[in-house]
Amino acid sequence: MNPVYTPVRELAEAVRARQVSPVTLTEAFLDRLERLGPRYNAVVTVTRERALVQARRAEGEIAAGGWRGPLHGIPYGAKDLLATAGGIPTTWGAAPLRAQTFDFDATVVQRLEQAGAVLVAKLAMVELAGGMGYRQPNASFTGPGISPWGGAWSGGSSSGSGSAVSAGLVPFAIGSETWGSILSPAANCGVSGLRPTYGRVSRHGAMALCWTLDKLGPLALTADDCGLVLDAIAGPDPRDPTAAPRPFRYDAGDVPGRRFRFGVIRDVAAAAEEPVRDAFSRSLELLSRIGTVEEVTIADLPYEAITRTILMAEAASAFEEMIESGAIAGLTAPEDRFTAYARDAILAKDYIKALRLRTFVVREADRVLSSLDALVAPGRPAVASPLDQEFRSAARGNVPDVMGAIGNAAGLPAIAVPNGFTESGLPTSLQFMGRAWEENTVLAAARAWQGITDWHLRRAAVDA
Amino acid sequence: MSEPARDPGEADLRFALVRLRYGDRLTAEQLDALRRAVETIVEQVAALRTVPLTNADEPLQRFVPFRADE
Repeated sequence: MNPVYTPVRELAEAVRARQVSPVTLTEAFLDRLERLGPRYNAVVTVTRERALVQARRAEGEIAAGGWRGPLHGIPYGAKDLLATAGGIPTTWGAAPLRAQTFDFDATVVQRLEQAGAVLVAKLAMVELAGGMGYRQPNASFTGPGISPWGGAWSGGSSSGSGSAVSAGLVPFAIGSETWGSILSPAANCGVSGLRPTYGRVSRHGAMALCWTLDKLGPLALTADDCGLVLDAIAGPDPRDPTAAPRPFRYDAGDVPGRRFRFGVIRDVAAAAEEPVRDAFSRSLELLSRIGTVEEVTIADLPYEAITRTILMAEAASAFEEMIESGAIAGLTAPEDRFTAYARDAILAKDYIKALRLRTFVVREADRVLSSLDALVAPGRPAVASPLDQEFRSAARGNVPDVMGAIGNAAGLPAIAVPNGFTESGLPTSLQFMGRAWEENTVLAAARAWQGITDWHLRRAAVDA
Repeated sequence: MSEPARDPGEADLRFALVRLRYGDRLTAEQLDALRRAVETIVEQVAALRTVPLTNADEPLQRFVPFRADE
């Protein structure tokens, strides 16, 4: 079988049945990472040595009848903000930290190792996960993240996680989201990306950008694969007090004929770019095949100002030493070298007010979602920008993103899945956002969507 | 939600702090950009102020007392 662009679920069956060996799989993806990774600026470090050790171990275990589950022997890439032991650098995408190493694995990396997955690469990312206010794709020491679709920006900050999955360099990847950093690269790269509920996945060993906003989650070819990965990485962790003591088991069982109840926030796509609006309108018609779609109204609150204040204040504190020492002058994007200084203008009272208003946001979001399976909206309000242009960003405040503001402030799960292409061949995306802890519901909706569409089966001309 | 009230003097005062702390390491162009960034922050904060809060409206994060043996 050709493993490239084969979903994890199918690879897992082939590995379990010993039709394909983990070592062969791993070598195939290592080769692609080394050969094609530079084309997309997708890779920081190919972890060949560690990968082959893990792959040989998996092969031996499976041969001895010790199949651990669907990720056993499956290669993956991790965003380079996840700590890895063994001298493998963890750079956070930042030039001043190119040589940074840790002597332990992040919990997510440990959990994937326990599941038998094979770490083949540390993937490129926007420097410091975009927390310094970048305005352009070229904001990483590895260069601008490039989507296999049209050579446009891959999105960020999990840029390599999106492009590596899209280019068939890894079957799945781990990304992180503070505001948009999983959904955006999933959208720009035409893949599926799941942002779990805040606290569903331990952040131990992950770079902190904003302690109350950061989430880790998978990017993969299908929603189903995202569920398989979440099953392996979710769960409590004594080393991360925010990791919730709620068990999670992925429920991949589809109920035949299930009808979902979807909501659309009034005017949610009004400010989106025209191709995004058009694709979303068509999606709303298609969604009627798997459920009902109703317009909903939400309380009039400054959602984006609330989330942005929290993000800017926490990021300024998380990187206080780097900012105040002037070390940010070594970052790649010129604007990242000084923009964070402005955050000293945020007062403690402003931050606490945002946290008080956040209580209103979580209650309002739960009120709206309590009678729905999911809110739907464009995965990202804009299509991928050219590499040499500034992009519009909700986190910076020059494009509305009420779904992102609510979803991240309230820590709600959302999945972005492909829903079309522009005339110039750039992917667009649809997101399903659910109530807290309802990953299985949004995954079921996304699986149903991918059961009636084929956008997720289209591949960029990577191997042409 | 009503329109946020804007006081241009507030941005001046907040920017003065930024300039005091970091001005010696910035170019005139960067200072201009920072001034605009501070104005955006002030607008953002003004938007927060449009929502009335009562004494009972607590921050979402709750303090949890700690014991190492629990």
